[in-house]
Amino acid sequence: MTATRARGARPLAAAAILSLLGIVVVPLAFVVLQAIFPSIGSGSLKAPFSHFASVIGDPLLWRLARNTVSLGLCVVILAALIGAPLGYLRAAYRLPGGAVWDLIFLIPFMMPPYIATLGWIMALQPHGFLAQMTGVDAGGFIFSFAGIVCVIALHVFPVVYFAVSRSVEAIGGRLPDVARVFGAHPIAVLWRITLPLTRPALLASLLLVFAMTIEEYGTPAALGSHSGFDVLVTGIETRVADWPIDLSGASILSLLLIVLAMAAFQMQSRIVGSRSYATQSGKPEPLLRRPLGAAGLPVMAGFTTIAVLATVMPLLAVVTAASLDTLSGGLTLHNFGLRQFRQLADNQNGALAALENSLLLAVATALVTGLIGTLVAYTIVKLRVRGARALDVLAALPNTIPGIVVAVGLILAWNQPWLPLTPYNTPLILLMAYCCILLPYPIRYAHAALRQVGDNLEDAARISGATPIRAFRRIVLPLVAPSVLSAMLLVFAIASRELVASILVAPVGMQTIATFIWRQFDQGSVGLGMAMSSIALVITTSIPVIVYGIIGRRGATAAATHGS
Amino acid sequence: MPRKTLSVLTLTVAMQAVANLALSLPARAEGKLTVYTAGPANLIDHLAAGFKKKTGIDVGVFQATTGKVMARVEAEASNPAVDVLISASWDTAEDFSKRGLLLAYTSPNARTVPASLKTDTAVAQGISALGIVWNPKSKTPRPAEWADLAKPAYKDLVTLPDPAQSGASFELVAGLIGASGNWQLFKDLKANGAIVAGANAQALNPVLQGAKAAVFGAVDYISLEQKAKGESVDVIFPASGTVAAARPIMIFKSSKHQAEAKKLVDYMLSDAGQAEVAKVYLMPARADIKADRPRLQDIKLLQTDTKKAYAKRDEILATFRKTMSK
Repeated sequence: MTATRARGARPLAAAAILSLLGIVVVPLAFVVLQAIFPSIGSGSLKAPFSHFASVIGDPLLWRLARNTVSLGLCVVILAALIGAPLGYLRAAYRLPGGAVWDLIFLIPFMMPPYIATLGWIMALQPHGFLAQMTGVDAGGFIFSFAGIVCVIALHVFPVVYFAVSRSVEAIGGRLPDVARVFGAHPIAVLWRITLPLTRPALLASLLLVFAMTIEEYGTPAALGSHSGFDVLVTGIETRVADWPIDLSGASILSLLLIVLAMAAFQMQSRIVGSRSYATQSGKPEPLLRRPLGAAGLPVMAGFTTIAVLATVMPLLAVVTAASLDTLSGGLTLHNFGLRQFRQLADNQNGALAALENSLLLAVATALVTGLIGTLVAYTIVKLRVRGARALDVLAALPNTIPGIVVAVGLILAWNQPWLPLTPYNTPLILLMAYCCILLPYPIRYAHAALRQVGDNLEDAARISGATPIRAFRRIVLPLVAPSVLSAMLLVFAIASRELVASILVAPVGMQTIATFIWRQFDQGSVGLGMAMSSIALVITTSIPVIVYGIIGRRGATAAATHGS
Repeated sequence: MPRKTLSVLTLTVAMQAVANLALSLPARAEGKLTVYTAGPANLIDHLAAGFKKKTGIDVGVFQATTGKVMARVEAEASNPAVDVLISASWDTAEDFSKRGLLLAYTSPNARTVPASLKTDTAVAQGISALGIVWNPKSKTPRPAEWADLAKPAYKDLVTLPDPAQSGASFELVAGLIGASGNWQLFKDLKANGAIVAGANAQALNPVLQGAKAAVFGAVDYISLEQKAKGESVDVIFPASGTVAAARPIMIFKSSKHQAEAKKLVDYMLSDAGQAEVAKVYLMPARADIKADRPRLQDIKLLQTDTKKAYAKRDEILATFRKTMSK
């Protein structure tokens, strides 16, 4: 059966491989070339490998690598501790509020990390908002290693939360119910059935968290400078953006980051192993969310605490900073006003254009990556084509490479003088940059979801006369849709606020939300930047809400799998 | 119905997005001048608008920090898109000139630009200086000298911009340690709890909020503009001397719009163009343009052999890092 499926679905595999080549391989190849040939930017291949010795031999490098790994691991642990239980509880139990929690936990993710970090700094530093209100000075905490871990983990845990809750929903009620019928204690069911079955999704999300953390620049840069904590990305950024420019050294450090991520990826694959996680092998049973009972109060307290820390606090700091006429005026009544918003209105042409650009790009990115991501994951998991493993690794790579290096790779690749037509210096290059950076999300999410879909469903469809494409469209697609949709919402969230790549490859004269905000900060106008952030946040958050609203009512989730 | 509605909606949005992207494709239109510039953003926006009004020539702008602008120029080296480049540090102009990338041009409007601020291939647009940026509400005495910030009154209350991230900050460090390399001032600052915190805007924010009292050597124009907006902040130029950073305008030899590029340089050095420079609290390059801020003749500059200093750049930065970290 597998062989026929592979043959019949060849166009799908071909499409997947071609898109990966165009979006991911081309820019990454140029990063590798840049690492080897320092002058490739001016079209010369002289002095290959001349940079490796000095970069690798730098004693500082090993400290950076060590810091990077320990930061990545600590964030993974904390994000798992926060995201996994919340995700499980959300999917398995009837929570007061229900889907509202999804929205609340999506917001930290919609907030650009640099904005959230700046919000935390303004809230907690000496004489910050917290100190002005309560006299408590948490500056020592926020500027420490623990502070960096907390800020990043509170920002990325939604990745784990959404992955786990979707996965538990997909497992449905059948297997746990069977176990219960045979007398298993609920805790035993959780431990022996649900947890092992969510393992692919949980690990996939943790891999994303690790990759995002070692790739994150803004937070370690802003918080780490006080305690002298620096990571590989800080080193890369210094080489790309500080005169004299050393693109080659930056590329070499990026290769090191890739090696780190590959190691994590190997570990993840080994743990997931080749066991079957198929839970969807027949007519779906509805997942009946159980009542919380006596656990209700502590569970709600947990949800609320995380919501306050991850969503309310940074949001409050951003909105407060946007509502102060002058930052030095502090939290006094007459200092509150709409001055920043009025100034924003004066510059509404620029602000509106930036909003429109970012929204269009983010929607386009979500659609493109959702489609390609599903195809690629399907090719890897179900078609078992030769080289599927290589595809799998390739698809995970861009997530670990700092956006700024992807940007350099894109420029090197698409600004070649002999190209008759090029997306470079057009908005398309931004779309390509976002797709390259964000493709891993749908792939990982769809990958995990596909592992839960039994082969027999598709086989049944084929036996009943469906073409491979039709079987894919009618059976596979609906089954993985909720997971892919979650991933697409994350993609939308990140694409609408991406800064590091945008700032370098944005076509001449074009602004996005993030570059607009950055321009304000660059001129010291923190309040104005925060005003734009607030508005952008409202608009970008309302889009997933509308999507959820349309789907949630009748439930594409319910139509596709089980859901409530 | 919702599912169908959703598909239709999604498809419409997608097609709209693609159409919009496709429509904006011919961004590299002929006859359009491409300018890469370090901040401030509103300056180049106003200049581009004024130039378009006067000459009808469109200007496309890419604005970022000097470092990011340079990274883009380097990555594009095989097929340069930039016509005119404005950087925030003069050594980039010297470097590009040495590599033979720049077009020689002397604008007729550059007559009143002091000789030290122009070469055959570059001319200053404006000048900024470094100063002590201090928050008067910080309950610390008003500092007058660099060394004041190493006093107990400013314990844990001072930040320094990273000299690795800014040419001007590097020149200030090089100037203050002098030819003989006396690091005592920086050792004292370190002992007093001063920290190195990123680029300019990053160093300013804690001072405005009051987490820190002063920045040791921040670019002046950003703070002057914030002060004009009502923030509690002052810029002090120590009498012992500081450094100034001229912002060079360069035309690339590879430019396919050299005539238009020259016109733009002329415009930036015209009365109107220089007035825009003064409006963002930079010192205009032309000595005969009025500005509502201290000018070069009002500020004492350190006498530094910058050539020698740049030759020892790596060494000085390494010592700086060692001195300022634990």
